[in-house]
Formats: sequence, C-alpha cells, structure tokens
Amino acid sequence: MSTAPAFAANPSSPTGPLAGVRVLGLVKVWAGPYATKMLSMLGAQVIKIESIDALDEMRAYGGVDIEHAPYFLSQNTEVLSARANLKSAEGIALLKRLITKADIVIDNLRPGALDKLGLSYAAMQQIKPDIIHVAIKMYGSEGPLGQHTGYAPSFAAIGGLNYLVGHEGAEPRGMNIRYGDTSAGAAAAYAAIAALHHRERTGEGQFVDLSAVEAISSLIGDSLFAQEVTGEPARHEGNFDPELSPHGVYPVADGGWLSIACGSDDEWRALSQGLGAPELADDPRFADHASRIANRAALDAVIAERTSEQDGETLGLALREAGVAAYPSASSLDLATDGHFWAHEAYRMVTSGNGDVRPVVGPPWRITPDAPRIENGAPTLGQHDDYVYGAVLGLEEAEIARLKESGAIC
Amino acid sequence: MTALTGLTIIETAERVVGEWAGKLLADFGAEVIKVERPGGSPTRAHGPHVNGASALFAYCNTNKKSVVLDLETEQGRATLNRLLARADALIDDHAENWCAARGLGPDAVRAAFPRLVHCLITPFGQNAPADRQLAYPINIINAGGWAWHTPSEAKPSDPPLKGAGRFMPSYDAGMDAAMATAASLWRQRRTGLGQTIDLAEVETQLSRADIIIGRCLAGDDEPSHARTRYDMGGPGASFACADGFVHLYMTTSKHWKGLRELMGQPGWMAEFPENWLEFHCTPDRVALFRANFAPWIAQQAKLAVTDAGQALGIPLAPVNDAADLHANAQYRHRGFFRTLDHPLLGAQTYPSVPYRMSASPVELTRPAPAPDADRDEVLA
Repeated sequence: MSTAPAFAANPSSPTGPLAGVRVLGLVKVWAGPYATKMLSMLGAQVIKIESIDALDEMRAYGGVDIEHAPYFLSQNTEVLSARANLKSAEGIALLKRLITKADIVIDNLRPGALDKLGLSYAAMQQIKPDIIHVAIKMYGSEGPLGQHTGYAPSFAAIGGLNYLVGHEGAEPRGMNIRYGDTSAGAAAAYAAIAALHHRERTGEGQFVDLSAVEAISSLIGDSLFAQEVTGEPARHEGNFDPELSPHGVYPVADGGWLSIACGSDDEWRALSQGLGAPELADDPRFADHASRIANRAALDAVIAERTSEQDGETLGLALREAGVAAYPSASSLDLATDGHFWAHEAYRMVTSGNGDVRPVVGPPWRITPDAPRIENGAPTLGQHDDYVYGAVLGLEEAEIARLKESGAIC
Repeated sequence: MTALTGLTIIETAERVVGEWAGKLLADFGAEVIKVERPGGSPTRAHGPHVNGASALFAYCNTNKKSVVLDLETEQGRATLNRLLARADALIDDHAENWCAARGLGPDAVRAAFPRLVHCLITPFGQNAPADRQLAYPINIINAGGWAWHTPSEAKPSDPPLKGAGRFMPSYDAGMDAAMATAASLWRQRRTGLGQTIDLAEVETQLSRADIIIGRCLAGDDEPSHARTRYDMGGPGASFACADGFVHLYMTTSKHWKGLRELMGQPGWMAEFPENWLEFHCTPDRVALFRANFAPWIAQQAKLAVTDAGQALGIPLAPVNDAADLHANAQYRHRGFFRTLDHPLLGAQTYPSVPYRMSASPVELTRPAPAPDADRDEVLA
C-alpha cells in the first residue's frame, strides 16, 4: 500500500485487521468516541480532531485538568490527537486537507454542524471522491424529525427498549441510564467497515446515516417482530423467559444476587441437587418445563428459599461445576476484582499520553495472528500534531509552527 | 449488490448470538450458509410459533441459505469441510469442547483453512475455565454488570434485571462479532490471509460500560456493591403520564427554564435555585421536584407533551412501545421497518438496521430458510 511508509514512521503504527485504514474522528462524549475506539482496536489509525476552543466534554468531566480527565482516559485507547481550530478558516482548510488523506470521517456533532463548516458529505466528496462519512445522530441526519436532538439517556426510551424493562407488576423503569450510547457507536463502527468493503469492491465511497434510536430498536427487534406476527403486545416481564425454567436472579447472602437459568430437565435436576433439594425435581409442580412455567411463582420461591443463606460465589461455582448456568450478578467491585477478566486480558494496561500507566476495558475480541495493538492510552491534546501535519500532510516544520502561532492549530 | 456481495460465510452457530452475527453480514449481501443439525437449528424451537414457524428464527435468519448436515458423522464433517474450502469466513458459537470434538477448534481450522476468517463466540472466550462454558443471556448480562445496575436507582431488595426481551446481550455481542469478522474479511481481501477471532460475550458487556468500569479499575471512582454505581444522579427518571410513560433527563438551568415554561411557571418551582441542577442538586430537592412533577405529568398526553418539551429544548422523551415506533414519522421516513413475505408467516414487517447507506444499503431479499432449503444449490 502506498501509505505504508507513513505508518511505519508513526509512533502509533497500527497492526490488526484494519491496519492501513485512516479514520478522522469529529466526535464527542460517548457514542462517537466509542465508534472510533472500536475501529482503533481493530487496527485502524484514528485521528481525533480537537481544539482547546471546542473540547470534547469528556476532557473536563471529573478531572483536575484536561490531561487527567478520567472519562476521556477510559475511552480513547490507541487514538491519536491532532488539533485543528474549526472556528478559523485556516483550521477548516487543514481539516479539508486531512480529509484528502483519510478513508473514513466519523462525526456525532449536532445535525447540520458540519454543513455549516462547509463539510457536508457532498463537500467532502468534492475533495476526496471516495470518502466514507459516518454521521451518528439521535434520529439520523434528515427527515421529519431529523433536526431533533437529545441526550443519550433519552435514546433507550425513544427506541422502545425502556418500555420492555421492569419488574413484573411494577411500572417499566428501563435499563440503567447509561445503556445505549455504546451500542449505537458499535453499529456505526460496523457500518463503517461495511462501507470499506464496498469501496474496496467498487472504488465508491458513501454516506452512512446512523440513527442512535434505531440502534436501540435493533436490540429489541425480535420483541417488535413477535408483536407484529402474533398481535400480542410486547411488554416488560421482569426476568421471565418463556423458554427457560427456572430463569431468574435469586437472593444470596450479604445482599448478593445469583442469576440461574435452566435450559432442560437435566439442568433443572442438577440444580435441585446442587441446592441440596433433589426432591424438587420429582415434585409434580416442577416435573417438566410446562409445569415449571405454570407454577413459576412457587418455583422461584422454593429456589430463593434455598439460595438466600448461601454465599453467591461459592454456590455459583458449585452449581456451574454441576452443569447449571449460575453466575453471580456482578457489582462494580466484583467486576474490578474478577480474576478471570484480568487473566484473560479483558482489562488491559495502557500508557496514556500523559505518561501514566492505566488499566482500561479492552475490546471483547482476541485476534490472531496480526493482533491489533492495544498499548497506548488516550492522547494528550495535540499530542500527534507534528506527526499528523508533518508525516501525514507533509507540511514543513516552519509551516506547522506558523499554523500554531496563527491559532489554526490550537 | 451491496457491501459484502461475493463473500461466502458458513454459519455453524446454533445460538442467537452467532445467528445474529451471521444475519448482520447476510444483510449486506454476503452469502451466508447456515449449517443446521438434523431436525433444524435449536433456535427454531424458540417461540412464539405461528403456523409452525418460529418468529424468532424468522427474524434472525433473513437473507440466509440453509443446509442440514449431521456433524456427528464423518460424512457430515467432510461435507462441511468442502464448504469451508470455498468459504471466506466461519461463524461459530459453541462451547470449546463441542468444537474440539468436531475438528472445529481454532487451531484445527487454522491449519486446514489458512485463508478462512474464523470467528468463535463463547460466553467467556477461548481457554475460559471449564465452569464458564455454559451461560444464557441472563447470565451474561448479570456477569457483565449491567443487570446489577438496572434499573437506575435500583433498590437493594429488588432483583437485578435481564434487560429487554430475551436476547439483548446476544445482539450486542453478535454486533461485535460481525464487526470483527467484517474487519478481518477486509484484511483478507488485501492479504489473502485469514485470522482467528475469539469473541467473549461477557466482555462486550464490559466494553459497553467502558467509561464506567474503566474509572473503577483506575481508582478514579470507588468500585463498590452499590446498585447505583452506574447512575448519573439528578431528577431524571421515567414518569407515568396519561397514556403511558415519559422519560425526563434534566441537567442544566436551560432545561429547568424550559420546563418551567412548559408547566406554566407554577409557584413551587420558584422555590428552587435557578442553577439547582448544576450546583444544588440535593436528594431532598430531587424528591421535592418529583413529588410536584409527577401529578402534573400524569395528566399529560405522551406525544403532545414530549413534542412541546422538545420545542423548548427539554430532554423529555416518550417511552415508546412497538406501536409508537411503527407510527413514528421518522422511522417511517427512513424505512426502518421493511416488509418481507415468509411462506408460513406471510407478509410481515421486520425491524431492519439503524444505518442508512447511500451506496450499499441493506436489503431484505429472502425470508429465513426452511431447514435444508438450499441443499442442492449449496452442495452442487
């Protein structure tokens, strides 16, 4: 590939399946940065375009300064930072020149924000005919509600997901308020890769218009479809699953909870033995799946009675060793101290641009051979200015210095 | 012709998570050949059933082909190998020992088919302990932390919740599997080489909470057993309205000003500091706000009040149900629901995908196959 020498010179030279792909991220807060992070964790070179005058809010939240902001440091793994002041004509011109060197532009700015900078998809196409532009918006980029804006905590409500989460007999309460932004970002990253395939095959770029609320709806697609097919309204149902019995989250000692699901009579028999109550499997109320569903309240009660005094970790392990899917419900402390997650490299140690070594949540994949590199944590603001404007754009040192002086790079 | 046209993917997966990954690829035009056991994929047993067809299977397997192979026999495995020899990728979601017993472990497949992209989806990843091989979606979402923290403001006495429907964690992990597989297929186009992708479903749950768990790992935030550790605080919550529920999220004085206007400046609101949401958001004020807001919003109509709120810049959103989504002008405009004819289910509207692509759009071209429907073509 013609770009190989430039990557070789880059201190963040990527490996992995998307090595050679360059992504510009005009992204803030969570969904957009998450999309670019997924691509960087597959080996793409992601350049986050930033400016001290228009910071990603994540550089502020919870930190003493913009280089020690915990949220930002937790998400921008293997991402490069280049400054461009998009309030200056020269800054916009720099971004346009970078677009000519990019494969993908991802943005999650407000609807119309890029158009105002003269950076609509059509305008990008003028300067880079095969560019792929992925726009992440609440409702998509156009259409009758396309100008609506909102906050991520609203997406799960609008997308129909929150209506389907709640305890039985109580009002629907929805998923935890944080859920949804990252799922939308993942869908954007996947669509970007599909667009790369199309370009590889045809030479053609494209515009990808992602609706975050539709990304939420895709997580409940079978419920929406079942309602269409059967006419039965989909509604929240606690932890009920019509096909698994028992199926629930049961109390254990010290305020803990244990998730248990059985997919067969054999698993149910193993559970009853593991609970020290083998007679339950022979109880006619619980003899087969249909009976267990019909007598679900009684079933859940007899299980809870036998789990509630036991240690969740110990009981879960014993049940799993007996062939029953029983896993403690994990708190943030359980997650942070889970030996398996550390040993299996679900968590990774990275070196942030500020020099600190820090654990982060890694990607859910291990890819071999040619694994994507996951060593560098979030960049400092403008950490890669000289690489991006020098090695990528080919500007002279003096010109870069001038642009920093003039405020185009700031 | 769309993004993945020309690629052939073999799907030995028999759970929703792997089938969903296969569907995401099939929707972009890849030829996805679903290998089913005699009697059909176990997911065909999942309800609801109408006219003998599983609605779940119909939804998760559009655009695919089906061939029945008995992988318990040498002949079945030999036929599978013939398919793999001409395929670009293999998607599997069985336990490690199941794969190993059928010659479908990562090393065996790599040795026999070096050009193949091999995606293995398991609950906890390859080489996980023997006791972490079997997990259902409710286990995944609990082991991954989201259930413990759901709903927001969960009470210690309420059980953690599994999320929406039966397969939410499977759709999230299936998306990541499709993403990594598509990325590796892109590399294959350029290098002619395959890769092994080891995807851990529970790690998708962790990844989706990266900024929350990451701060706990690094010590920026105190990890604990609190059910509210993922919460954001503030008065935002779901509230019952006249014809359903609305969700309010409110964090700034601008939101507060808008809400006062929406509610007609009632006297109780004057007792709150203008900037209380930013600087004086105490539990007492949150409770007082909710006590006054709840009876008012209970009288309002869901769509009318949320439209009025949107116009005033308040993040007041409808808690939509399925019928609301079908009626939603924007969903209709974007064509999120697509109609497809199924031989047993008839013409039905299927939820499609959240990304509209100007050059390589997703197309629903064929309903989920009957078992073995494509044997002649696939094995020709």
